[in-house]
Amino acid sequence: MAAVEELSEPDDLTADEREAVQHQLFRLADDEFVVAERYTEWQVKAPTLESDLAFSNIAQDELGHARLWYDLLQDWGAEESELIWERDPSEWRHSTLAELPFDEGDWADPVLRSYLYDVAEDIQLRALQDSSYPRIRDRVGKILGEEDYHREHAANWLERLCEEEESRARVQDALDRLFPHALTLFAPTDEAVEERIDELGIRSEPLVTMREEWLDEVIPFLESLGLSVDDAELPEQYDVHHSQLELPEHTGRDQSHTDAWFDLHDDFTHTYQELGRTSAERIMKDPDDE
Amino acid sequence: MSNAYDTDIPDSVDPVDDDCVEPAGEACAYTEYVEGEAYDDVPATGEGAEGVERDVWDTLYEIEDPEMPISIVDLGLIYGVSVDDTDDGTVATIDMTLTYSGCPARDMLQDQIQEAVEDVDGVDRADLRLVWSPEWNLELVTEQGEQDLRDFGLSI
Repeated sequence: MAAVEELSEPDDLTADEREAVQHQLFRLADDEFVVAERYTEWQVKAPTLESDLAFSNIAQDELGHARLWYDLLQDWGAEESELIWERDPSEWRHSTLAELPFDEGDWADPVLRSYLYDVAEDIQLRALQDSSYPRIRDRVGKILGEEDYHREHAANWLERLCEEEESRARVQDALDRLFPHALTLFAPTDEAVEERIDELGIRSEPLVTMREEWLDEVIPFLESLGLSVDDAELPEQYDVHHSQLELPEHTGRDQSHTDAWFDLHDDFTHTYQELGRTSAERIMKDPDDE
Repeated sequence: MSNAYDTDIPDSVDPVDDDCVEPAGEACAYTEYVEGEAYDDVPATGEGAEGVERDVWDTLYEIEDPEMPISIVDLGLIYGVSVDDTDDGTVATIDMTLTYSGCPARDMLQDQIQEAVEDVDGVDRADLRLVWSPEWNLELVTEQGEQDLRDFGLSI
């Protein structure tokens, strides 16, 4: 990577720089928050006690990571409640992979989704380790250190699910459905802003390079399990290094979303709205103040 | 702030190979809790602090982790304390980390520290700054902290 100039403190960024940093942060924060929100639906419903605990813990990790990124968006004055509970659903930038609903009992879906997501997350975080924005760079190591076992967990489960025909067919179904949405993990929020993110050195790899890296990792692994990526809703390729992979109608990154997202948003903001909150207030009085 | 700790940050903490001998596909995978690496300049322990700063450190030593009987200082969470006279009065600035990014006690612990430090005579305001680099690991626990954790029944 060419040497890039270190970006300034949040308040000293130019408008263009700030926009680029914010787009990068929303990509990260919204992905983590929404995928975690979906994962929590498996609490007390995962097939074994161990998988229940593991998956709940993975959700907790991702919420923690979302918070680390939302923290940085608060540098420009927004409160956490404004970024999460009060932001209009049409302003979110997560990949549609994160928002899709699960069919009841379809354990193959979260296992595969987590695999596709976590391999991509690892690649994206590594591209931030040398970020020109110090406040991003300083948080990457902590998050990477908490991610390894997510991939281990997902890959381990995928291997087991693919040992038998019936469960492998379920994984294949999930793959056919999820793969195009997984590609949106690398879709641009806005072409011009994404280019600026690269030029400013906020991340060291452009989206297209990271996507190739991801395809080079996930496709051989999935095929080694007897799954076929060809059947996924892709064009006839995949000579992935040259051809355009088709994205679904909504990519999420550009703030266009599937209907499922608006339902999910209604659900998780329901209590906040019902209580007429304008900020995340304390439910109990601090006993020390009495 | 970002360059306050001139430390090499590890790319990741590589888990030690486990001794799983089961063939792939059998259930046998677990996470090793690795010790991690030591850093030169963190954690801070308040050694040699005097005056109001000493009092701030004494207060921090009295605050325990929410789940284990160990001081947050001995756990290695505090990365730096400074006490400065400003136009707003005397401000104690505390840099600290948490063991886990998803720590559910984050707000509770921060509130507790803030209130306790602002109660110190001579401190008008406490500013807490959460720091995530370098990452906390077991090497940051002090000798006293290790003893406290052993007394609590943890093997460390």
